Amino acid sequence: MSRRLARPLGAVLGLAAVCGVAVAHGGSLRGASGDSLAVPTWLFLSTGGAVVGASFLLASFVTDRAFVASVHGWTRSVPAPRRLLAWAGRLVGLAAFVVLVVAGFAGPTEPLRNAAIVLVWVGWWAGLVMATYLVGNTWPALDPFRTLTRPLARVTDGARDLDANAAAWTSTAFLLALVWVEVVSPLADAPPLLAGVTLAYLGVAAGGVVAVGHETWFGEVDPVARLFRSYGAVAPVERTESGLSLRVPAARLTERVVDTRGGVAFVVAVLWGTTYDGLVGTPAWAGFARTVVNAGVPAQLLYPAALVGGFLAFHRLYWWAARKARETAPTYTDVETLAVRFAPSLLAIAAGYHLAHYLVYFLSLSPSLFGAVLAPLDPPIARRLVLPGWLSGVGVAAVLLGHLLAIWVAHGTAFDELPGRLQAVRSQYALTAVMVFYTMSSLWIVSQPAGSPPFL
Amino acid sequence: MTADNTTTAVEATDDHAHGEDDDDATCEYCGDRFPTEQLRDLHRGLEHYDVLDDDDRAAYEAAYEAETESLQSFRLRALAALVLLYFGFLMLYAVVGL
Repeated sequence: MSRRLARPLGAVLGLAAVCGVAVAHGGSLRGASGDSLAVPTWLFLSTGGAVVGASFLLASFVTDRAFVASVHGWTRSVPAPRRLLAWAGRLVGLAAFVVLVVAGFAGPTEPLRNAAIVLVWVGWWAGLVMATYLVGNTWPALDPFRTLTRPLARVTDGARDLDANAAAWTSTAFLLALVWVEVVSPLADAPPLLAGVTLAYLGVAAGGVVAVGHETWFGEVDPVARLFRSYGAVAPVERTESGLSLRVPAARLTERVVDTRGGVAFVVAVLWGTTYDGLVGTPAWAGFARTVVNAGVPAQLLYPAALVGGFLAFHRLYWWAARKARETAPTYTDVETLAVRFAPSLLAIAAGYHLAHYLVYFLSLSPSLFGAVLAPLDPPIARRLVLPGWLSGVGVAAVLLGHLLAIWVAHGTAFDELPGRLQAVRSQYALTAVMVFYTMSSLWIVSQPAGSPPFL
Repeated sequence: MTADNTTTAVEATDDHAHGEDDDDATCEYCGDRFPTEQLRDLHRGLEHYDVLDDDDRAAYEAAYEAETESLQSFRLRALAALVLLYFGFLMLYAVVGL
């Protein structure tokens, strides 16, 4: 028994040790260097790729089915006053919504002193999303759109059954549209516009509730609710019937978090959305955009075309990996089942990338958030927190950690889905290659100096 | 419904491309098909162990043993790849750092 346990345990410890060293290395590269890296970029990127490749090889040493299943299946339930928490969440969400609208139209015009801007971008898009994948998904309770449209649900004739696949595709299209609006519009600088867009979104949600019912809209179509649900699947805390349950982080991704082709598309869109957001801020993109716009392509066309084109490329690449998995395993399990089972592992990557992108942003602007929350209409002068230099290395560490979790999740899923142990390992070849490519491209974006996208 | 039909059609062509007709193995308990008999035996042992007869259980154990052997050789190759990767990067950093 002890020998049986010792081997997988040794492999996991080895994996942790190697990755720890590599992460510390990556971290020190960024931290020590300031503007330029101490090693050439190609070496920095290939080291990151190699860490992911090596972690796949190390994970392949863990082939004890019972051990893999016990890691992913471990749960501990924690009693919690669910109704009380839900009501508290609704109140907080509603209060934030009111502050957002009032401060948006009547608050100070300086963006970092305006409660609407700070609440949405620092509090919600950076802070709450981070809390969602690091702790648990509280958005269903907080969601003011859900709370405000609840009375409408009583008026309309109840839920309508939608095709789950079509609903997920609609959600994907909505999400891409939101990413586009976020990148191209001055939503982070113009408080009245932000408040207007929030009200417009409430209108969209009300329309959706009337059309398909409250439950179906927020459970299937609403892209924001789906986004938080997806990130929440990475978190260690989950809401259950009796309270809360604790799990190993990302372990829930080995279950059927995604169940349709549209769901796969949504996960890919989450991943591509965070990447696109970072990509358009890089100097390389600025150079590329200038060349293309000088050649006569309107900038208004360039940004949505790049968004949709990149999404399609990522989507195709993922399905290619799923098809390849079927050949290399080999297995007769259909491609759709494989694609649907492995897609959730990408969410760990998206979470890591989000953390890399927003941790420093959130911490440095947190004094503004406190100021805006305490005195929404007359906040104190905006201050930034001065952060230690090594914190920027956390970005590189987060990208790598997200990928390592994804490798481990995909490993566990393969063992759950396929009968052969070697078959399960072999099914991961193409997916690992895609992940190595993805690590290298996101590390490249993280290592670039961030600027604002041109022509906007 | 249409989506389902397309999926089945795609599957059918894919299966054909793999030459499924030549040597596939079907699980008699749930009808799932597998590319090799070894995988079928492993599947039967994992999913239907309680209803298997002695011969099928023996086949499962034999398949498991055979797989363990190929896993050992896979591990050796994975270890070799790790060593190569580690020393390759060690050398790269040494050369670049010069």
